[in-house]
Amino acid sequence: MQKEIAIEVNSLVKKYGDLAAVDDISFTVHKGEVFAFVGPNGAGKTTTVEILVCLRNPTSGDARILGFDINERKGQQEIRKRVGVLPQDFNTFDLLTVKENLSYYKKMFDDGMDVDELIELVDLKDKTNALYKKLSGGLKKRLAIATALVNDPEVVFLDEPTTGLDPRARRDMWNLIQGLKEKGKTIFLTTHYMDEAEVLADTVAIINYGKIIAMESPNKLISKHGGKTVLIVEEGGKAVYDSLSRRLSDVRLENDGDVLATIKKKTDLPDAILALNKNKAEFAELTVRRPTLEDVFLNLTGKKIVEGELH
Amino acid sequence: MRRISAIVVGALRMWFRSKHTLFWTLAFPVLLMLLFGAIFSVSESALLDLHVQNQDVIGGVPTFWSKAFCDMLNKTEILNIHMVDSGENATQFIEEKGVQRMLIIASGFNSSVSAGDNVSIILKMVPVEVDTASATVSNVIDQIVEIFNTVVTRQSPPEVVSIKHENIVSETFKYIDFFAPGIIGMTLMTSGVFGAVAWNTRNKELGILKKLATTPLSKLEWIIGVVLYELVMGAISTIVIIMVGVVVFDLKVVPNIFSVVLIISGAIAFPGMGMVIARFVKESDSADAAANAITFPMMFLSGSFFPLEFMPDFLRQIANVLPLTYLNNGLRDSMVYGNVSSALFNTSVILGVGIFFIILGSLITSWREE
Repeated sequence: MQKEIAIEVNSLVKKYGDLAAVDDISFTVHKGEVFAFVGPNGAGKTTTVEILVCLRNPTSGDARILGFDINERKGQQEIRKRVGVLPQDFNTFDLLTVKENLSYYKKMFDDGMDVDELIELVDLKDKTNALYKKLSGGLKKRLAIATALVNDPEVVFLDEPTTGLDPRARRDMWNLIQGLKEKGKTIFLTTHYMDEAEVLADTVAIINYGKIIAMESPNKLISKHGGKTVLIVEEGGKAVYDSLSRRLSDVRLENDGDVLATIKKKTDLPDAILALNKNKAEFAELTVRRPTLEDVFLNLTGKKIVEGELH
Repeated sequence: MRRISAIVVGALRMWFRSKHTLFWTLAFPVLLMLLFGAIFSVSESALLDLHVQNQDVIGGVPTFWSKAFCDMLNKTEILNIHMVDSGENATQFIEEKGVQRMLIIASGFNSSVSAGDNVSIILKMVPVEVDTASATVSNVIDQIVEIFNTVVTRQSPPEVVSIKHENIVSETFKYIDFFAPGIIGMTLMTSGVFGAVAWNTRNKELGILKKLATTPLSKLEWIIGVVLYELVMGAISTIVIIMVGVVVFDLKVVPNIFSVVLIISGAIAFPGMGMVIARFVKESDSADAAANAITFPMMFLSGSFFPLEFMPDFLRQIANVLPLTYLNNGLRDSMVYGNVSSALFNTSVILGVGIFFIILGSLITSWREE
């Protein structure tokens, strides 16, 4: 069964002078899907979001949100009613409480979610009457996400919702986003955290210098571009290296004594474990490292993203 | 309507919760009034004005003794004598010109003095409770009369000339009455322009404007909401100014319906102007600079502190195109002079300016970025 389309983008281009911030991108997001736009700072993530939520005009190309054209005035009005947006680096009114802030944005729409229900949804019930400025960073972000839900939108745009949060607050945020997905919302997410995209997204689009360089489900991306699984035998030494080399084709002995064996076919891993067991090999730790989206990005671009920047 | 009221109510809530904004909204007009009230009420007493009308004139020429008396008045170096034509109706003259002190020498003064008959001169003054300078003037005249009597009779007593005191009871205006409307106009301008600019740039920096731009809220609704909030702020400042004026400086004038309409128009026009300025600035720093560059000259060129008549011609030309001039003139006309037709003209100018800025603001403000 063909799923309904929520976002459809065709050959979108945004140029500033000669520089193309968004360079001819096309993609489709289905309803109920979590779609992650992954890339370093300046790759064109925010520009794309701002074009899709009608904050910027594209230089060329077109896009439809829930069937409404972003290039038409009428379409823009309909889109504003139906989408929820968390802009990048968004902070709301310091001196209004959680509830007052949400009511403020809700009044901008004709109808939407019950504010108390929304507060419960983002788990801020204890802080209903706390001023925004008194909230911790993680709670502020939760309120910010709630402001994107006041109109009970069908499509939610979250532009870097976890940037600047501590690991715990990030996990909280992931749970919240997964909860939204379960409620059937279509979520367009941008992030420069690969793990975040891997955990949350149904489809990941990797964007670099304004172009989408790969787009698929995280698992497919990893199996296609992530490289092989590696068995690491820490402090295995020469003995382990010798015994594994006899069965596996790609085994390396590192200077610190760790032995790395690339798993190339299904039988490689059981074979290696059997060999270690049989030879009563001595080692410190045995780990299997599966490739991640980070490896995908590294293999595709030759670079890593650290703190949002290319390295 | 629901959106606009959300903007106004939200802003008022935040204002009320921000202790230092709350404090300055109330303290700033108080400080202004105290400061300017103190400065200008002192400078006024340097030379005391006295209007003198010599009615003892025969064939257009003052009589001998009346002229002699006037000459003595002129030599005090305390009084600044303004001679009033003998043909003027004294009561009417006082009322029209807002004269505070007037001495009247009645016809027959010369003949009475010559004959040694008792004669009175009339000293009309605002009561000492209204203007303490009246006491000084009274003393000076007392002494002049005493010397005059001595000269005339060559011995004292008996008195030939005596003083008949009369109060000027018609509404009299002091400098405070002139500058209180000026302070109101100035405060409406500064708080309106700065308030609107600051509110806009701050919310832009927080990303709130961007967020609101993704909702169905229109630019016009946003501008009207901010302007209405600043209107409330302007009204609060105005009330504080009038209260300080009445309590500390014995301010006589109280806003009538025209000045209320003017104050509301001014409190709309200047935030409207602020919203237009805000369109062209990106950061808070440049926003303040831009607002300063516009409000500062306007403050001095629009007759807030002194009448426009004191300024050179080319500055008066500039004043004629500044909206604050019309607000100040209108407020004075309606509050001080009770000149309704002029107040009406100034009100429509200010209201027109306000509507112009709001419409211009909503046309040029762009929520879409390039």
